[in-house]
Amino acid sequence: MAPSATIRGFDDYLQSLPPITFQKLYQQPATALAIFRRMLPSLAKIFVTTLLYNERPIPLADLQSWVRTESYREREDAFIKLRRLHIIHENGAHINLDPIFKKNFRLALTGGGDHHSFGVPVAGEDKKKVDIPFLDKYAASQFDCILHYMVEPSGTQQPGQGVKHLLSTSGLMRVSSTASKITQAGFSFILQEGNAQIWVLLIQYLEMSESLGMEKTDVLHFLLMLGSLELGQGYSVATLTQTQKMMLTDLRDYGVVFQRKSTSDRFYPTRLATTLTSDVTGLRTAAAAFSHAVTASSKEPSDDPEERGFIIIETNYRVYAYTSSPLAIAILELFCKLGSRFPNLITAKLTRGSIQRAIANGITADQIIDYLRVHAHPIMRKNVLILPPTVVDQIRLWQIEGERMKTTPGFLFRDFATQWDFDDTARYAEEVGILAWKDPKKRLMFATRTDQILDYLQRRQAQGGQAAVQAGKKV
Amino acid sequence: MDTADASHHYGATTNEEKPSLLVLILDTNPFAWSTLSSSLPLQKALAHLLLFLNAHLSFSHANRVAVIASHTKEALFLYPRSHATPEPTTDPSNKYRLFSQIESCVQTSLRSLLASTTASSLAGTNETMMAGALSLALSYIHRICHVDNSTIGSTAPRPGEIPRQDQAAMTARILVISVSGDLANQYVSVMNSIFAAQRMRCAVDICKIAGDTVFLQQASDATGGVYMQLEHPEALLQYLLTAFIADPATRRHLVPPSQVNVDFRAACFCHKKVVDIGFVCSICLSSQLSPLLSLCFMLFIFCSPPPGALCTTCNTRLDITALGNYGGKPAFISGKKKKTKKAKKALNDSASSSMPGTPATAT
Repeated sequence: MAPSATIRGFDDYLQSLPPITFQKLYQQPATALAIFRRMLPSLAKIFVTTLLYNERPIPLADLQSWVRTESYREREDAFIKLRRLHIIHENGAHINLDPIFKKNFRLALTGGGDHHSFGVPVAGEDKKKVDIPFLDKYAASQFDCILHYMVEPSGTQQPGQGVKHLLSTSGLMRVSSTASKITQAGFSFILQEGNAQIWVLLIQYLEMSESLGMEKTDVLHFLLMLGSLELGQGYSVATLTQTQKMMLTDLRDYGVVFQRKSTSDRFYPTRLATTLTSDVTGLRTAAAAFSHAVTASSKEPSDDPEERGFIIIETNYRVYAYTSSPLAIAILELFCKLGSRFPNLITAKLTRGSIQRAIANGITADQIIDYLRVHAHPIMRKNVLILPPTVVDQIRLWQIEGERMKTTPGFLFRDFATQWDFDDTARYAEEVGILAWKDPKKRLMFATRTDQILDYLQRRQAQGGQAAVQAGKKV
Repeated sequence: MDTADASHHYGATTNEEKPSLLVLILDTNPFAWSTLSSSLPLQKALAHLLLFLNAHLSFSHANRVAVIASHTKEALFLYPRSHATPEPTTDPSNKYRLFSQIESCVQTSLRSLLASTTASSLAGTNETMMAGALSLALSYIHRICHVDNSTIGSTAPRPGEIPRQDQAAMTARILVISVSGDLANQYVSVMNSIFAAQRMRCAVDICKIAGDTVFLQQASDATGGVYMQLEHPEALLQYLLTAFIADPATRRHLVPPSQVNVDFRAACFCHKKVVDIGFVCSICLSSQLSPLLSLCFMLFIFCSPPPGALCTTCNTRLDITALGNYGGKPAFISGKKKKTKKAKKALNDSASSSMPGTPATAT
């Protein structure tokens, strides 16, 4: 399962960690489980389960021959992921799981041990009952508050100081002494779906936590543990480390956990937390889950029009939005030309100019279309195609208009010693899918990543060396 | 430079894969397990299976499992169960909650199932309700993958339309842990379940620990599942984690464990015997065929021409003479003596010339 784009930031962050950190991370079964579940492509997962109960290392070639030759790329991708996350150890032509990972992943599957990494539930009822609808409402209100603040920094809803600091350090808001302003990155952040937004915030938080002197592995353990907790269950604060207790107060501001008072002895993960390590497609998105849960709990269609959908689009690009929420209006303004405003209605128009402006701000056509589709008015939903196809196509065309040129960040390889050397490396890069351009005559090639090629060259050198040694012995 | 590039959104395309549902059918035939008790007792097998289920669940947050017991006279769900199950006894902080829930649920329901099985209730049966278990599994898959999701998404199948795996929000597969022998008595119902699975594009994997069943081989072959006869039953877990863990989407990338010979024989409908050659009425297509190769349709098959040459389905009088001497022994026509002598001589000559001077003849 290719980790989705939303998780990519976290992926890169993890891979930048030194091996020693991984050793610490895999000490906790819950973390081993979460990384296995969230970070690995499905082929890699199968390799892990195959190796899990094999005591002895098995030949790499055996595993490789198990995959169809057409799926070469997926296979290499799986191995690269496993190497980068330091889950497998290679010893010559043999391969085995990292012993710490193996031990703790087994523990996660079988249970037992004494690690408390799956959270310690608090027995007995809380004085005031905390149920799931309450948690959903709490998380939604906290998170909406952040979004409102981003759109309208001077508004009535002000999030905690920690959130403001996080938004400014992450570059989503530009904070000056007089006024705060949302940045381009912030715009595209707002239009992302819920799970992705949370991850963006949490990755920023991870990076910031180091400068605050928090123990990195503790932070990671806690974040990954949250994903394996159960919604609606209270968990004890007592077993958490000092760092993790500090985190609780911050995560409370994001709506990820609920704690009645900072001195309270229990905390409740919200839906935002329990869906952290789940797949976006598997469950409905966090936001959709909210509205579903909220409407389901109140039984009758809720009064808030935003939850039912409020946008009508006509084939002539006119947009009617039945809303008075400043957040919704601000979001619409990102890609619409607003017309007039009535007490409960906004009229607007999608124009080439407004879409181009949004795209220049880093918002993509797909984000706009998704937003419109998710918030379409019930009347629109009666159609087979919710949005008029002409409008959808035109938004995409407007986006393509601006794309005359494409930049690819990457690395130039040159000074190959022999033509064979060049051809072999270029062939490998192409197979793994990182080759952007090559010129065989000049022996130049441009690849999007270096680590895989370095890895390959090293292995090739090692194999070549062995072959040379063997040849020497024969002589 | 970067501002000139507005095409970054292309990089965001990923092939998200669907969560997967695994329905495990456990053959709980007490006779078969008792013969296995030396190499793989039921408790040990159950521990392996639970670990395997946990591994499946750990693949994705949205993966689901169901466990069905195929007992001697009934098939029933071990998990999920409608009535409440006792809370797991282990310390919940050391185990993922879902894992311990499933574990305790399967264990308690299996225990109650085995407790309700008495010696008298076992009298006269030595088979397992595989057909019932398969149909339970298929209806559960249908409910989870198609019906439940249609209330959420807009992809509700229209009435009368056959839902297919590729439209569903989840992929599903069935894994049968089989220990019993032949299912000839349930031939029709098992085959119907197989065709249903084939239409739903739901793979049926067979993990054969003991016994031999023709029809389960056909099941895995028709639905594109894995069939594996375990050589070392005590290593069940390793087999499961290696060969059966891959979900249908990942199998595209793997070389499947090969299955050498599929036994395509059918069972006759009159005596439930597995036959090499069957007879079918030419009128009502209850058709005439030698080894039943095509699995796409079912016919009423007799093991021998019906008594009185009357088709039991449509009562048509059949012309059995059209069969000629089909199935009879070939008549032996004795040739002239001379010829046989000649032939014998030629045979001897060729024999002696082909092996010249063997020690026996030399002495």
